[in-house]
Amino acid sequence: MSSPKEIQQSNEAWGSRIGLILAMAGNAVGLGNFLRFPAQAAQNGGGSFMIPYFIAFLLLGIPLMWIEWGIGRNGGRFRKGHIPGMFAAIWKHPAAKYLGVVGLVIPLVVLSYYTVLMSWTLAFTWFSLTGGYWGNTTQEAMSAYLTSYQMIGDDSVHSNWLPFLFYVLSLGSTIFVLSKGISGGIEKLAKIGMPILFLFAVILAVRVFFLGAGENGVSPIQGFQFIYNPDLSRLGEASVWLAAAGQIFFTLSVGMGTLQTYASYLSTKDDIALSGIATAATNETAEVVLGGSIAIPAAVAFFGVSGAMAVAQSGSFNIGFVSMPIVFQGMPAGQLFGAMWFALLFFAGITSSVAMATPIVAFFREEFGYRRETVSWIVGGVAFAFGLLTIFWLQHGMLDEWDFWAGTFGLAVMAFIEVILFMWIFKPENAWRSLHQGADIRIPTIFKFIMTYVTPLYLGAVLVAWLIQDAVPTLLLERAAPGTEFYVQASRLLIVGIIVFFLVMIRLAWKRNGYDDRVGFREVEDTPLGAPTYATEVNR
Amino acid sequence: MSTGALIFMLLSWTFVLGLVSWSFAKILRGQRHFDPDGIGPASPPVPGAAEDPRR
Repeated sequence: MSSPKEIQQSNEAWGSRIGLILAMAGNAVGLGNFLRFPAQAAQNGGGSFMIPYFIAFLLLGIPLMWIEWGIGRNGGRFRKGHIPGMFAAIWKHPAAKYLGVVGLVIPLVVLSYYTVLMSWTLAFTWFSLTGGYWGNTTQEAMSAYLTSYQMIGDDSVHSNWLPFLFYVLSLGSTIFVLSKGISGGIEKLAKIGMPILFLFAVILAVRVFFLGAGENGVSPIQGFQFIYNPDLSRLGEASVWLAAAGQIFFTLSVGMGTLQTYASYLSTKDDIALSGIATAATNETAEVVLGGSIAIPAAVAFFGVSGAMAVAQSGSFNIGFVSMPIVFQGMPAGQLFGAMWFALLFFAGITSSVAMATPIVAFFREEFGYRRETVSWIVGGVAFAFGLLTIFWLQHGMLDEWDFWAGTFGLAVMAFIEVILFMWIFKPENAWRSLHQGADIRIPTIFKFIMTYVTPLYLGAVLVAWLIQDAVPTLLLERAAPGTEFYVQASRLLIVGIIVFFLVMIRLAWKRNGYDDRVGFREVEDTPLGAPTYATEVNR
Repeated sequence: MSTGALIFMLLSWTFVLGLVSWSFAKILRGQRHFDPDGIGPASPPVPGAAEDPRR
């Protein structure tokens, strides 16, 4: 057996509990909190959307959050920071590890295009500071400015190398943080990035609140009316409930495999029940209180209610990259507020992108013994190659295709698998006991029932609805733009290739380390994992 | 802004701000873990407040 010192060298740990919660919340808080939520609320019944939204939060979001923390920490008992190992630790069956392949494929695929989106926010931070888009004061002009940067429009506005420069900077900073490890990189980033994100969001929300009525004579207060005005007749529509469940699902970053990896660096002496709630609550504050107070109220003040409705329906990215820059051009010190807005989105993005790469790094470190730095830069290289393809094939639908299969449908599949494994195969009693080890709060017993029966049924219903409504038509290319079929199919083939690659790597890892699926892993004892891991903050 | 919209907004904000305040207040009050050298605790950790001693 390895000595504690050797094991400590090979393991990672969180430096403080606040650092852990900020990193978890940083993982969850992303572009969707500030762009997707207000648009979804406005489109789906306003205030009455909040009823299914909070019901989904209680029945789907919080239970899944606890389940993922529980699966992760249970995996950590066997020093498994990756989903194949975590699933195998729960279910002693040869199939368990292969089911876990989703927890490696989804983060890699999403990381590949997410860093491209992140690079847009970094570029627009720069364009805001330098006044690059100043003068483009109509939706059409600003849209042309954006598409030129994305290399799908008029190429005379931006140099061709610019998108690549910002992409390299974004991905490079992600991989740099990742290569510094959990407490040395990810936790430090969260401790710096999350307070900045919240500070910028509060400043922007206050600024928007005091904007005053625009040319249309509409004040930003009407924006809150636009988001929260209850249309109770919409409560009877299944699509509203589905939209609310989807928003909760995406906003909390469940089904990605990242929360589990972060939680695997905790011991059974550490609380996960209260920390899980704190993470979810931090994310909800960023979404409901701050996310709902910036983009839509600003759009209402500048474009009027009907203009804001058109903006909301034009998609989340148009709100962020087309409408908001127009708003900033119309306000005093707009360059500074514009830079704050895009820097906020960049911090929301980078705290999520480092999390996406973590499960893959953990897999190769733990199973093949590679150094963290080496694996981090290799993962970065692979993501770079796929990211370049995303940039070149943006107009051919690659990003949409990958986002649907990995970033939307894949998440629901992964979440469904883990609910069944944790609550039904691991058994509710074991799951409940596991969640309460080291707990600072006692979870209300009703949640045992909810997590065993309600959450899987709710999730199953959402999955079936998405399958019928979106997955089948997408698979049959019914939604592919004419002329993009080849690229869409090639994008799918790449995902299949990534799945096959990871299946082979899982097989090799199990063979190399001599794991017996029916016996399970040996529990790590007398190691830092047996002691509280976020323990040094009292001393700081 | 209509009364209905104001009520829904205030209820939503109160719920999330209440939840985040409650959870962080509990976390900041209960710093029971202490591990000065990062290797292990000087004394056995105190059981979690919600842990059932019979289990």
